[in-house]
Amino acid sequence: MTALVRLRLAGFLRTGRALAPVLAGLLTLGVLYGGGRAQPAEAYGVSAVVLFPVLAWQTKILLDVEPDVQRRLAQVAVGPARERAAGLLAAALAGLGTVGVALIFPWLVGGVTGPVGPGDRSIVAGVGLGLWAHLLALPAAVALGALASRAVTGSAGYGIAVLALGAVGALVLGLSDSVAPWLAPPVMPTARALTGPLAAPTALLLSLWAAAWAAVALGSYAWRRRSRA
Amino acid sequence: MRLENVWLRYHRRGPWVLRAADVRIDPGEVAVVLGRNGVGKSTLLQLAAGVLRPTRGRVLGRPAAVGWVPERFPADQPFTVDQYLGAMGRVAGLAGPATDRAVAHWVDRLGLTPVRGVRLPQLSKGTAQKVGLAQAMLRPPGLLVLDEPWEGLDAAARELVPAVIDEVLADGGAVLVSDHRGETVRLPAARRWAVADGAVAEESPSGPEAMAVVELVVPAARVSGTVARLRADGHHILRVRAAAPPAAASIPDGVAASSAVPSRAEPGAPSLSLGDGVEPGATGPAREAAR
Repeated sequence: MTALVRLRLAGFLRTGRALAPVLAGLLTLGVLYGGGRAQPAEAYGVSAVVLFPVLAWQTKILLDVEPDVQRRLAQVAVGPARERAAGLLAAALAGLGTVGVALIFPWLVGGVTGPVGPGDRSIVAGVGLGLWAHLLALPAAVALGALASRAVTGSAGYGIAVLALGAVGALVLGLSDSVAPWLAPPVMPTARALTGPLAAPTALLLSLWAAAWAAVALGSYAWRRRSRA
Repeated sequence: MRLENVWLRYHRRGPWVLRAADVRIDPGEVAVVLGRNGVGKSTLLQLAAGVLRPTRGRVLGRPAAVGWVPERFPADQPFTVDQYLGAMGRVAGLAGPATDRAVAHWVDRLGLTPVRGVRLPQLSKGTAQKVGLAQAMLRPPGLLVLDEPWEGLDAAARELVPAVIDEVLADGGAVLVSDHRGETVRLPAARRWAVADGAVAEESPSGPEAMAVVELVVPAARVSGTVARLRADGHHILRVRAAAPPAAASIPDGVAASSAVPSRAEPGAPSLSLGDGVEPGATGPAREAAR
């Protein structure tokens, strides 16, 4: 399976199609950090929100780069379950790269600042919470991108619709007065939680929520793939 | 391996592409899937290979190592032939050195050496088809599934396919091959599965007792010796005749060199018809050709 993950990452990076989401991610981060300096944890919480659609889109591109017949060849070679897992793993690894860029980027452009007041978190705590926020968003974004991939949706238009609906839904349903916040992954609630002191039960709840959402979305991806060739 | 009462449709409300297909193939056997365009030959092959899941029914006893050669090789990938085959070998579970050996063997065998460093999208259709065949053979397959393998191949390369099939059969593998152009006359011992209207029917079985006619070309001076030798080997000589030169000239040397005659002729004791292509008094090199 490692070999298939590497093959897919190589295909993604070599075609140059990796460029589009990378540029979109950098642009988004540039806009985000262009306004002024903020505390790291707070800034990273928003960064995870704005990167959620980028990570999902990147996953869709990575999975769609491979021709359909090549995907079937991979399935014949390693079996259906490992073929799917390898695609998700490759997308998660690519996503980790983007998350790494997102964590370093604000320090390069001076978008974040160290502790200034007595109640401020240390830089290490801020970066740690930022990493946590991005890692909550990543599995959900990978699952959304996978649900929007051609292997599931069959057509480009339908795939874009799934992607757009999922991304907009995550934002709209994540608003503080949302009627059904549980339908969306907790990217917005996480960002809100990071603006103030974060209690351990809240962090645990958000982590479980993100894991449950990703599990349901990945499960439906596996089920949709099973019922389609 | 067996397909047991297999039904398949691509969409929930779509038409049945295959209905109650019930076929089996054993190790060492080859089956040819025949039928018009669009009747479901590829579907049947993809069910056997494990690309498609039956909507109803079961596929039993599929070997662990399956090689599938799709009808069209997916050449739109940013790899060279070497990179691609190396990656596919490792994806199939071969270790690094084993992959290198298998790639070197099949690149050489299929005449891909000159294009090793060429990127897949730049390959001609026939060459890409050979890469498709190579990737299926890197890990010796217990089941080889070939979807129209002759498509796009030149005359010399077409002879490679039966040779590769023989090799898989000799190793105890099974082979499924589809064809709509009559190329499978090259596989006289094959079972024949006819697909029509969603149903799969096995045509009159042609087991080891099936006979095939092999035409040979030999220098006229050696005809009597050859006939005697072939008779001694238990073959049945149909006739000896002088033949028109163009027929002989149209047979590529490569074919003679890799003649499939011995492997065809020995196990099944086929009849032989000698002399097609012999010009009386010809002094050229001995050429044997199987058609």
